[in-house]
Amino acid sequence: MAKKYLHIHRLRRVYVWELPVRFYHWLNAGVIIALIITGFYIANPLALLSNQEAANRYTMGWFRYIHFAAAYLFFFNFLFRLYWGFVGNKYANWKQFIPTSRRFFSEMWKVFKIDILMLRKNGKQQDHLSVGHNAMAGFIYFLTFFAFLIQCLTGFGLYASMSGWWFPKLFAWVPAVFGGDILTRQIHHWSMWFFILFAVIHVYLVFYHDYVEGRGEISSMGGGWKFIEEDVFEQNKHQTPNPEKK
Amino acid sequence: MSKRIVVDPITRIEGHLRIEADIENGKIKDAFSSGTMVRLLEEILRGRDPKDAWAFVGRVCGVCTSIHSLTSVRCVEDALDIVVPPNAELVRNIMFCTQYIHDHVVHFYHLHAMDWVDVVNALKADPKKTSELAQSISKWPKSSPGYFSDIQTRIKKFVDSGQLGIFSNGYWGHPAYKLPAEVNLIGLAHYLEALEWQKEIVKVHAIFGGKNPHPNYLVGGMACAISIDDVSGLNAERLAHVGQLLKQGKEFVEQVYIPDLMAIASFYKDWGAIGGGLGNYLVYGDLPTNGYRDMSSYKFPAGAILNKDITKLYDVDLKKEDEVQEFITHSWYEYKEGDAKGLHPWKGESKVKYTGPKPPFEHLETDHKYSYLKTPRWKGNAMEVGPLARVLVGYARGREDFKAVVDKALKDLNVPVAALFSTLGRTAARGLESILTAQWGIEFYDQLLANIKNGDTRMAEMSKFDPATWPKTALGVGHTEAPRGALAHWINIEDQKIANYQLVVPTTWNASPRDHKGQMSAYEASLIDTPVADEKQPLEILRTIHSFDPCMACSVH
Amino acid sequence: MTNDVLPQQPTYYEEVQRKGYSRRDFVKFVSMMTAFIGLEQSAIGQVTKALETQPRLPVIWLHFQECTCCSESFIRSSHPIVADILLDKISLDYTETLMAASGTQAEDALKNTMTKYKGKYILCVEGSVPLGADGVYCMIGGKTSLQILEEVSEGAAAIIAWGSCASNGCVQSAKPNPTGATPIHKIIKNKPIIKVPGCPPIGEVMAGVIVHYLTFGRIPELDRLGRPKAFYSKRVHDSCYRRPYYDAGLFVETFDDENAKKGYCLYKVGCKGPSTYNACGVTKWNGGTSFPIQSGHPCIGCSEENFWDNGRFYERGSAFAGFGIESDADTLGKIALVGTGVAIAGHAIATNIGKSTLIHKHEEEGKLSEHELES
Ligand code: HEM
Ligand code: HEM
Ligand code: NFV
Ligand code: SF4
Ligand code: SF4
Ligand code: F3S
Ligand SMILES: [Mg+2]
Repeated sequence: MAKKYLHIHRLRRVYVWELPVRFYHWLNAGVIIALIITGFYIANPLALLSNQEAANRYTMGWFRYIHFAAAYLFFFNFLFRLYWGFVGNKYANWKQFIPTSRRFFSEMWKVFKIDILMLRKNGKQQDHLSVGHNAMAGFIYFLTFFAFLIQCLTGFGLYASMSGWWFPKLFAWVPAVFGGDILTRQIHHWSMWFFILFAVIHVYLVFYHDYVEGRGEISSMGGGWKFIEEDVFEQNKHQTPNPEKK
Repeated sequence: MSKRIVVDPITRIEGHLRIEADIENGKIKDAFSSGTMVRLLEEILRGRDPKDAWAFVGRVCGVCTSIHSLTSVRCVEDALDIVVPPNAELVRNIMFCTQYIHDHVVHFYHLHAMDWVDVVNALKADPKKTSELAQSISKWPKSSPGYFSDIQTRIKKFVDSGQLGIFSNGYWGHPAYKLPAEVNLIGLAHYLEALEWQKEIVKVHAIFGGKNPHPNYLVGGMACAISIDDVSGLNAERLAHVGQLLKQGKEFVEQVYIPDLMAIASFYKDWGAIGGGLGNYLVYGDLPTNGYRDMSSYKFPAGAILNKDITKLYDVDLKKEDEVQEFITHSWYEYKEGDAKGLHPWKGESKVKYTGPKPPFEHLETDHKYSYLKTPRWKGNAMEVGPLARVLVGYARGREDFKAVVDKALKDLNVPVAALFSTLGRTAARGLESILTAQWGIEFYDQLLANIKNGDTRMAEMSKFDPATWPKTALGVGHTEAPRGALAHWINIEDQKIANYQLVVPTTWNASPRDHKGQMSAYEASLIDTPVADEKQPLEILRTIHSFDPCMACSVH
Repeated sequence: MTNDVLPQQPTYYEEVQRKGYSRRDFVKFVSMMTAFIGLEQSAIGQVTKALETQPRLPVIWLHFQECTCCSESFIRSSHPIVADILLDKISLDYTETLMAASGTQAEDALKNTMTKYKGKYILCVEGSVPLGADGVYCMIGGKTSLQILEEVSEGAAAIIAWGSCASNGCVQSAKPNPTGATPIHKIIKNKPIIKVPGCPPIGEVMAGVIVHYLTFGRIPELDRLGRPKAFYSKRVHDSCYRRPYYDAGLFVETFDDENAKKGYCLYKVGCKGPSTYNACGVTKWNGGTSFPIQSGHPCIGCSEENFWDNGRFYERGSAFAGFGIESDADTLGKIALVGTGVAIAGHAIATNIGKSTLIHKHEEEGKLSEHELES
């Protein structure tokens, strides 16, 4: 038998997403989807045909129950992620999200040129590597965190008057800022669309990166690993924003 | 030499009215009526959903509450060609009748009575004699001597406390008060009783419209579904409640309001020759018995009378460009085409422009613009609207029901028909039409029951509720007879939104400033020649102005 | 006759005695009132004492940009009835709607109370104050409402802002607010202001607010928006008798349909009960006769700030103000979603064209590796 030769680059296996981040991610994805579905129903319930007595049904009740249960998970999961931004690895660090350095901006611009404008350099495809998420993605996540905040404030603000627990009551001031529940609720409803659009684009981009880079982007949120060619790794080491920070 | 006096605020009315009058030799020589508050609802309505308009215009007035909402749904239904189910029409009619007797009773006792009744003088009355008198004019059960003496004691303590509240600084003891103490006491007792009664009759609105003031209406019908085998909608209990209230309403009108009105009027017959004013009367008609579009079926017939000539009645067409028009020559507005032009409401404009003196001021510039009311005219004529107009038109049409109440009143007071054209006539007409509407309300109620019994439980026509079914543009007009007179709204719908919405309101007709030709409107005209005994205490001005039951929030909107 | 003399001001208890009621009746009345304002039984002693010892409270009621439905609603109160309030509880020294005097005499009555009871009277305001064009859109006796409000509020112990007009501007402040209609709290900053919103507020609630003040000698506890908690701490939705239908997912689809006849929830025809704080579901209207929802009409949110501009009445409130009535948030959202889909498809195609070399290279490399593994 002939000897087998495996002609491949030397790959470096990088442990990008620690287990807590992965756990956070999928819980987050799950509850957001649940919140969107139940939110839609709460906003505009279907016309259900049934001869059942009201006492034997609890359709809206269940939708709201799931919404509120998911809301708690969403909120505490989010808090946990904020915490992990300080104690997790460098890919999870809060600095990955907030444009603080010039390099962060220049990387955002670079990603924009490559991924959106699809510009070439000297007629050649430009390549770029970021081991964690790139600066552009980080910044978008930063914006989602804002949306998280708005949604939690308005959501718990509305919930305050329906709950006997002290925790949601901490948010009772929110509707007062908007002059009452009507506007608060509308803001809550409008910002749902941000989540929907984000999810669609985000999932597409994850697939896109997996496709054009071939480094296991999709599975990285499963196992935590990404696979990076040694030479590219060396070349681009400095390109991740704030790489020197652990 | 005449002297200019100012009465501002005119109280015991709705809203902000200012009267300036020139007095010469104890009589009014010239008068100016000014509305001094504006909200510009017509501007606010622009661009909104026509289906929501009833709620906005409902808030034009909380005194004649419901009437603007009714007019609004009618004008939208006219534009979109919606015919409401008979039950909805009946419910609207019942609410209309309820509104009338409520508004008229409250006006008589709480807004008008103190022009004729001397509250302080009532303390001198003999309760026993009062009781006898009360029993001689009405079978109303609460007329015992004890009842009147309790009231008297209560008021005496009140007066003794020195805190006179709403009665403080009244014109008590003014020479123009002529009632015997006993009649004053009856008036005072019923002032309090009417205050309690009025909160009951409006429950009819609460049952059909959810609340009062500002009950709910619905384009296409009414929202109160009929469900006689369910606890949730109009069922036997709810309907019985309405029936009970209507019956009590009628009893109060017949046994309290009308006897008091007649008793008081009999001491003020001289006011049958004062305050007549224009002599032109305008009625759009209302209370359909065969659908709103069949104007011949109205309980209140439509028509116009000119120069007190009740042998001739003119037809009124609200859609004709040259019939109803609004002028702003003396009003704080500007029109694109200048001050002298009149605009039909479909082309109406509401751009406000204050040009009066800078407050605080002593006098208005009455030669120029001096009011926030526009000046409506019918074929160029200044018209009086209201109870007197309605009663005269009904009478002139030869309607038996009108003739019966009018002739009886004239006979009881022993005055000629001509006495109707006066301050007293206006106040009396309000009572007379209350008798009619109280009766009609019960007739409509019976019909509603009969309909339901026959299996018709429809309450709303919803096929054109969705704006997608509407034409690109539509014009509509809705009219009614508000308690204070002829009321109409004109709507202009474009692209499912309100492009223009104009209201021409009863008090706008009556209280407006003069027009481009210098013709006075009803308030001003009726003040001319009114005697004023003491120019510092303008009681007589109040009598005539109150006889119109001013509503200024309505008039300016 | 003026208010020059103020002899012994009678207390409520004296008033009540004078009217021939016994102390037992009086205590009964007080406990009813106490229950009404939602207090514990233990507060009854306090209430009784307050009513026994206080004089009749001077009240000035100003009218500005309004429709007077607040006054109308007030006189509808059935407990206490308004005749008793006017004769026994307060001294309503100025209100244009009901007072006997007009013109100068009315103005004198106002001045009298302002000087004699400086710092002690309650100022009730019905209506908003127009600030546009230096305030000329509402003038009384030749002065602007702003001038009057500033003068009269000076000596007030507290201000009650009646209705949506005074507490949030109501209909005349709806877009484009052509007269600059402004609620009271945006003008007067140095006085306690009790907002009693609603268009109008429920009569018994209005009476209840006054009685609360009389009884305890202090203003009721207010929520963050300045409304008495006693009447505004719950959503209409939370006390709505149709709530079980809401929870069950059973809704009126259009007016007068089968579901409407069954009294199902009005949520889908636009009910704003879930966002509206008011006592309608509990206290109800006109002596407990009904309230909008009970009579089949959705709540339009009449006690909420800006309810005129927050979406159409017959739709669930998701409309974007200013985007015209056709385009609510969901329509815009759907458009954005479709747009995103199109952009993604475009991007995917562009990727395959623009980056074909790169992708080819990857593929080649992959095939090569695959091949080499096989060999
Ligand atoms: C991604 C996150 C979320 C989305 C997409 C979302 C979506 C929605 C939507 C569309 C509605 C219906 C609004 C309307 O009636 O127009 C709603 C209602 C509501 N949401 Fe959320 N929501 C989210 C998070 C939260 C959170 C964190 C809370 C916190 C408790 C919350 C509490 C509520 C409450 C209280 C309501 C009103 C329910 C009611 O009145 O019955 N939501 N949500
Ligand atoms: C098929 C589904 C999904 C896959 C495969 C996936 C994969 C990933 C991957 C690989 C990353 C790393 C970021 C990067 O490299 O740019 C990421 C991050 C993230 N994803 Fe997803 N995702 C999915 C769905 C979602 C959904 C539905 C949401 C929520 C709406 C979501 C929210 C996020 C957030 C907030 C981050 C940032 C994580 C962090 O660092 O905290 N993902 N996702
Ligand atoms: N004028 C007037 Fe009204 C009436 N009646 C309405 O149309 O009072 Ni407010
Ligand atoms: S709040 Fe509403 S009810 Fe009160 S005066 Fe204003 S418009 Fe009328
Ligand atoms: S009718 Fe309105 S307030 Fe009542 S349960 Fe339904 S949504 Fe809530
Ligand atoms: S419309 Fe107003 S009256 Fe009550 S039920 Fe809603 S708050
Ligand atoms: Mg008009």
